[in-house]
Amino acid sequence: MASLLDQIGAVTSLNVRSIPQRGAMSIASVVAVALTITVLLFFLALANGLRSTVEGSGAEDVAIVIREGSNAELNSVVTRDQLSILAAGPGVAQRDGQPLASGELLVIVDGVKRSTGTNANMPFRGIGPEGLALRRSVHITQGRMFTPGTNEIVVGAGLLREFSGFEFGRSIRIRGSEWQVVGVFEAPGTVFESELWADIAVTQSLFNRPNIFQTMRIQLSSASAMAAFKQWAENDPRLNGLEILSEREYYARQASQSTQGFMMIAWVLGIMMAIGALAGALNTMYSSVAARAAEIATLRIIGFSGWAAFFGTMVEALALSALGGVLGVLIAFVAFNGRTTSTLGSGFTQLVFKFDLSPGIIVTAIIVAIIIGLFGGLFPGIRAARQRPQLELAAA
Amino acid sequence: MNDLALVNKNLWRKPVRTILLIVSITIAFLILSLMLSFNSAISNFHTLPTRMVTLSKINFTESLPIAHYDRIARTEGVRVATHMNWFGGYYQDPVRGFMPVFAVDPQTYFQVYSEDLQIPDAEREAFFNDRTAMLVAEPVAERWGWRVGQRIPINSNIFTNGSTGNSVWEFTLVGTIPTPSGSSQTGSVLIHYDYFNETITFGRDRIGWVPFLTTSSEVNDQVANAIDQRFANSQDETSTQDEATFNKSFAAQLGNIGLVVTLVVSAAFIAILLIVGTTMALAVRERTREVGVMKTLGFSSARVLRMVLAESILLSVLGAAFGVGAAALLLSALSGAGGGGGGPQISFAPIVIAWAGVIALLLGLVTGLPPALQAYRMRIVDAFARR
Repeated sequence: MASLLDQIGAVTSLNVRSIPQRGAMSIASVVAVALTITVLLFFLALANGLRSTVEGSGAEDVAIVIREGSNAELNSVVTRDQLSILAAGPGVAQRDGQPLASGELLVIVDGVKRSTGTNANMPFRGIGPEGLALRRSVHITQGRMFTPGTNEIVVGAGLLREFSGFEFGRSIRIRGSEWQVVGVFEAPGTVFESELWADIAVTQSLFNRPNIFQTMRIQLSSASAMAAFKQWAENDPRLNGLEILSEREYYARQASQSTQGFMMIAWVLGIMMAIGALAGALNTMYSSVAARAAEIATLRIIGFSGWAAFFGTMVEALALSALGGVLGVLIAFVAFNGRTTSTLGSGFTQLVFKFDLSPGIIVTAIIVAIIIGLFGGLFPGIRAARQRPQLELAAA
Repeated sequence: MNDLALVNKNLWRKPVRTILLIVSITIAFLILSLMLSFNSAISNFHTLPTRMVTLSKINFTESLPIAHYDRIARTEGVRVATHMNWFGGYYQDPVRGFMPVFAVDPQTYFQVYSEDLQIPDAEREAFFNDRTAMLVAEPVAERWGWRVGQRIPINSNIFTNGSTGNSVWEFTLVGTIPTPSGSSQTGSVLIHYDYFNETITFGRDRIGWVPFLTTSSEVNDQVANAIDQRFANSQDETSTQDEATFNKSFAAQLGNIGLVVTLVVSAAFIAILLIVGTTMALAVRERTREVGVMKTLGFSSARVLRMVLAESILLSVLGAAFGVGAAALLLSALSGAGGGGGGPQISFAPIVIAWAGVIALLLGLVTGLPPALQAYRMRIVDAFARR
């Protein structure tokens, strides 16, 4: 008598070789699994791209100061007095005897989304003279940095890819003044690439927000200086009502807010489609078991165990769904991986990012496909194992 | 036994198979219903062809001086204008308790949005007469368990209340606004502009945007041009558009939702089309002998074709009914549990029923036609010759 493994091998090859007989149904169930995996990957890659862009923007040794309880920069207020106190805090890095700190103001201006031709919210950030030095990932790739005190703008390369209205060299009229786009900067994989930057003082005056700052960025001498800096600020009553975080903490918080919704959509749709695909897989496998009733019965009579019949069915189901999973991943790679898109971020402004299929996401998707295969093979496999040989042969 | 009974018997001869098919069809129609409802919740608000809105040309988050309002209201072709400010309101928790609170000019606001503000006269008068009054959409009041007459503390994440020095304002809830599907007031909380303007510490005498009604939609372009020309080259330039255009571009900010909905729904339907199509083909193939018997008994080929088609249509209509029903139940449960929060409330969109009906018929026809034709063409001799 053959060992169980040999038996399983024999039944499996019998099953696999008979797949072409049920070709149409097998293909249908492979495609159903593939489409399920594609839809799941679409939203997971979207959420992942958004998260890694937002999270990738923060440095650990840069402190960001916002008003306590203000969820977005737009709602925050930091006064000029607080700015000077903070710039003189412990552990603040210096350059040429000046603290590396930047008081900033974010306003929203309209840009035109290239794909739809509709208006969209662009973040227009007034930054202090040290603003560029505080963002080490940023490099000017075309033109030059704006000259402080003038109506000049530099624009992020990501924003330029998705939105029109701020092309290099163009002049733009805002609140009765002409602004000149004098440079383009790149900061791959960060939110900064979706922004417009200008001088803080000019921004304050031309947008009619005299002396108003919303956030402040401060370069500390090292990441380890952060705790002491926070402690010092907490004990100063003049800084009451302000919240100090490392840039990394700040963007991690923003990232989880932005991606929650997409993660939920991914799993709600993914699970629903998986149930639909599972129903298809079950049908295919039940038909497979029914079509091979006579063969299975013959094998049982010559001494094959019920387990062999079970595993034969299981392996066929797993093979079909794994094939579907791989096909789904391939479709995802070709159709959207690495594509640039944009959505309204947690700051109420457009955020440009890329669909990002990370290895973790691909593994997750394959696991989902295998789970569909496991359930799709389980019940038909039990039916195959329980068939009573005499009855099946008599019926045939 | 009539044909329909026979169709029904055929459908249920392998109950497990049929139930599985219905499950997958149900899922596809559930996805269709949810996606369409979502899409219509974010894009299909009641709009009037004569309702327009003037915003800052820079962006709708930039404010305009209050003086603009009088000039817009006096523009030729403007029937009545009102103005609104974004308050940045939340109740207790800045994220979970976020709500769209608008500071409005009560009388004119009720004129511009009259069709969606059908509330009892007493509540309307109470709102007009008390400067600290507040009206909220019904789901908002339900969510937080507010009763009419209660004083409710609302926080602002932007403004500071000059009379108290903190960011809290107390308002008296004087009534609720019913918000049927598509209402422009979905989720709204309304307070008095005058009270807001006198108590804030900065940004005084500025307004957010100016919605207005024109005398006729034919003068829309002319009115928009007149208003935007009037403020051209000033410190506060404007952009005037009709309500539908503004809503559309706002929804487009989230992304190309229409395209995503189409792609996801297509993926779901291609999958079930294949599953149901191949299974129906198998089911009819298994019945080859029976088809032969029926034809021998004198069933015409056309009658056999009709019966197979009826079976596939019955199957997809059953699945569609379950899917649409499940979506309706799910959405009403969701809106009961946590509606009235930040985003637009997603309620079951009636348009779903029309779409689902058409798609169910098509699905039944497409999946049933090949096996039905096969049965139609089948010759009695061949039917018995095949095993």
